[in-house]
Amino acid sequence: MILQQLADGIATGAVYGALALAIVLVFRASRTLNFAQGEFALLGAYIAWQAIAWGAPPWLALLASMTFMAVFSVAAERVLFRPLVRRHQHLPVIIVSLGLMIAMNALIGWVWTYQTKEVPPLFGAGIVQLGPVAVSRQDAGIVLSVAAIALLLAVLFRYTRVGLQMRASVSAPESSELSGVSTGRMMSTGWAIAGAVSAVAGVLIAPELFLHPGMMAPVLIYAFAAAILGGLESPFGALVGGVAVGIVENLAGTLVPAVGGELKQVVALALIVAVLLARPQGLFGRKELVRA
Amino acid sequence: MTTTTPVRTVEHTTPPRTTLLDWLRRPRAALNPPVWLRWTIGLGSAAALLALPLVNPSYINQTVTLVMIWTIVGLGLNLLVGFGGQVSLGHSAFFAMGAYSVVIAGQAGWPHPLTLVVAGAVPFVIGYLIGLPALRLKGLQLGLVTLAMAIATPSAIRALGDLTRGNRGIAIDADPPAWVALEHDQWVFYLALACAGLAYLVTRRLARGRLGRSFVAVRDAELVAETLGVDVWQTKTRLFAASAVYAGVAGGLYALLLEFIGPENFGLAMSISFVTLIVVGGLATVPGAVLGALFVQYVPTWTSALSASATGVTYGVVLMVFAFFVPYGLVGLLRGILAPAVDRLPGRRPGRA
Repeated sequence: MILQQLADGIATGAVYGALALAIVLVFRASRTLNFAQGEFALLGAYIAWQAIAWGAPPWLALLASMTFMAVFSVAAERVLFRPLVRRHQHLPVIIVSLGLMIAMNALIGWVWTYQTKEVPPLFGAGIVQLGPVAVSRQDAGIVLSVAAIALLLAVLFRYTRVGLQMRASVSAPESSELSGVSTGRMMSTGWAIAGAVSAVAGVLIAPELFLHPGMMAPVLIYAFAAAILGGLESPFGALVGGVAVGIVENLAGTLVPAVGGELKQVVALALIVAVLLARPQGLFGRKELVRA
Repeated sequence: MTTTTPVRTVEHTTPPRTTLLDWLRRPRAALNPPVWLRWTIGLGSAAALLALPLVNPSYINQTVTLVMIWTIVGLGLNLLVGFGGQVSLGHSAFFAMGAYSVVIAGQAGWPHPLTLVVAGAVPFVIGYLIGLPALRLKGLQLGLVTLAMAIATPSAIRALGDLTRGNRGIAIDADPPAWVALEHDQWVFYLALACAGLAYLVTRRLARGRLGRSFVAVRDAELVAETLGVDVWQTKTRLFAASAVYAGVAGGLYALLLEFIGPENFGLAMSISFVTLIVVGGLATVPGAVLGALFVQYVPTWTSALSASATGVTYGVVLMVFAFFVPYGLVGLLRGILAPAVDRLPGRRPGRA
């Protein structure tokens, strides 16, 4: 029973982790939280749904949605965020990302209506038996694809030139500018990857929650909780945080009767506050040192 | 105060052309109308507001009461965000606490003015407790925590079903006491008017006084403020708690006005409309709350004729446009338009720019 809960928690947690990963990539690129990240995932899910409705095979739909969201993300970064981030204006950045969040949500509702849509599970129906635990093929697929993304990103960051340049422009922007790395282009690259990853997160979670414009708000809090838990600096931490949040959510929802279904979101809130208080840099973050 | 002579700069090049964008983005000092005009406007609008509910049909009283309710929230939130520089996306939570306090205290038979005091006290205590960690949170993180608060509010209300009756919602009889010869809408209108008037005057004193300056100091340069003897931690926590009181009282009035509340009233959308309110009105200005309140009350009624989504799109686009092009809000615009005229009026007190 507990093992089963654990397995379910890992699957949903992987999706939270994917969205948290997008949040972390944006944070590393621009030092800002994109409150609209959940809506990016939502738009990705709708685009995939639309492509499937037009008759595209699911894999092609996913690819199309990833590409679209990468381009969309870069456009948003260039037009809306970069001017403000470059001027170091905190409050306007928050206001803009909030504005983007509700504008996108309302537009999505306008275009695709507020009716729930059914998304076919990407990995087909059916169940995989793993010892005592039964896992749906969709859940297994979710975990595998998020793991694949993580692996790809790890390779990208560690073994490629672009990855090195991205890390350099994050940790020492001025020095990397001097050595010929365009930090602006690296910012855009970070946002592009974040956009594509959010699209994957949206497409993966859509069959579980059913697709509708309000779908992403709760997922967004869990993703933020995951990102905070792992540390906003660490992509690896985001994934671990996501899985941890998924497991906590599942176990708390069923094992603690007082929590029930309703309080699960309050648990996420409590988790965010607790982590920020006890260890603001997160599990895998480094403490920021400021020379006074 | 010492007077400073304006610094003369010698222009070697042609002065840059001021575009419309520059004009929109320019920071502006408050208008400085002559005393007679201040009193005329103040007394005139007070008289108009006092007379209004007696001559109008109840639905108009309702919308004007709502404008006053939003004004109260806006005043408090602007104190926190505009003057204090701390973002809260979670004021709908305090609003909900106030609303439920009024309903629950009212069902216990307490008189309305007293329930409104409870509606202010409960968010104050909880805001203070949430404000304690606010010390450790920097801009983005506080925004995050309060966003989570806003999203979790409806679930929290449902989870506290014993107290709030969860999804079924909870009703209250908000008819005026027997000795008051007023209709329900008129009674709530006058309660809201009293609260809004008080909130406006208190906020203006706060914003201009010592406390307001310490808020701005903490916002602009925390370390410097600390060096100058401002207790940063206390200032931030008190500010957060104080702004929660505004939201709570407003929520209480909202419950009295509607006489029925449920968890769906207090979602993230409400918090976002609060943020829209202060951004549109003008951050760090007191009159901005009134203009913003008019915006969030009347614009959705026009846009909803268009489509169910139009309000969300409007809010989103307006937020982005104002953040980029009109950082000082409608108040900034009005100041820019009216200043030349006001400066020419007779009877101004000199030197109060």
